[in-house]
Amino acid sequence: MNDDFEKRLQRQPLRKIPSEWREEILRVAEASTRNSKLETTNSFSTLTSRLSSILWPHPKAWAGLAALWVVIAAVHFATNDSPVEIAQKPETPSSEAVVILQQQQRLLVELVGPVARKDIDRPKRDDVQPRSDRRLEILCT
Amino acid sequence: MPAAPDLQLIYDEHAQALFAFLLNFTRDENDTRDLLQEIFTRLAREPGLLRGAREERAFLIRLAHNAAIDLMRRRGARQKYHDRFAEDELNFFASAGYPDETAFRESLSRALGELPADQRAVVHLKLWENLTFEQIAEVLEISPNTAASRYRYGLDKLRDRLRPLYEEIK
Repeated sequence: MNDDFEKRLQRQPLRKIPSEWREEILRVAEASTRNSKLETTNSFSTLTSRLSSILWPHPKAWAGLAALWVVIAAVHFATNDSPVEIAQKPETPSSEAVVILQQQQRLLVELVGPVARKDIDRPKRDDVQPRSDRRLEILCT
Repeated sequence: MPAAPDLQLIYDEHAQALFAFLLNFTRDENDTRDLLQEIFTRLAREPGLLRGAREERAFLIRLAHNAAIDLMRRRGARQKYHDRFAEDELNFFASAGYPDETAFRESLSRALGELPADQRAVVHLKLWENLTFEQIAEVLEISPNTAASRYRYGLDKLRDRLRPLYEEIK
C-alpha cells in the first residue's frame, strides 16, 4: 500500500551506469576466463616438465622400476586373501606344532613328575562342625 | 562443462539494477565498479552459477549484496565505513531540470546515506526494484518480517528528514 510519499520516491530516476564501464567490465571478465584456463594448462605443463626433468637422465632405469612395481602389485593382489576370506578360515594348528607341544609335555612330566591334583579330588569331610556347636557339646557334658 | 553464459546479455539486462543497488549500498562509485567487475568475473569463471537461479535479477542482487558485505568485512569496521560514506556527497539520482526537483533529489540522496546500510538496502529493493518483502527477505537472507520492519523504519526516517521539502514542492 503505497502512499504519496512512497510514490514520489519511486518516481525519482536513478543515475545511469556509465556507458564506458560495459566494455571494460566484459573485457576483464572474458580475459579472466582465458587466464584461468591458461593457468590450468600451465600448471599441468609445469608438472610434466618437472617429471620429465627427474626421469630423463635414466629413462630405462625408471621404466624398469615402474615395471617392477607393477609386477609386485599384481602378485600382491593375486595372492592376497581378502579380509573376509581370512576371517572365515578355521584356525587348525599344524601337525608340527602338535608334535612339539607333545614333546614339551613329556619333558615336563619327566622333570617334575605327574601333577598331583589332590585339592581338587579330595572329598569333603562330613564330620566338621561349626565351633559354636562343639562348644555346646562341651557344656552339655 | 556447462556452456558459458552470454555475459553481454546479462550485462544489458541487469547491470543497471546492480549498479544502482551497489551505489546506494556502498555509497562509493569506485567500490561499485569493483564489485560489478567481481560479479561479472565470477559469472565468466563459473558458467553454471546462474543455472539454478529462479529469478536472475534477484539472484544477481543477492550476489552483489554478499560481495559488498565481503568487501566491507575485508576492510573491517563495517559501521565506521558506512558512516564515513554516509557523510559523503553522492549523486545517486539522475540530474533534474528544475531547481526544486534537483534540491529534492539531493536531499533524498543525502537522507538515504544517513540510513543504516541494512535499512537502505531494503528501502532500495522495495522502492526501486519493486520486490515484495518475501523476495527482499530471500535476497538479503533475512525474514520477511525483518524486511518489512526495516522498510518501515527507513521510510519513516526519510519522511521525517524530507517532510519540509516535500510539503513545499507537493
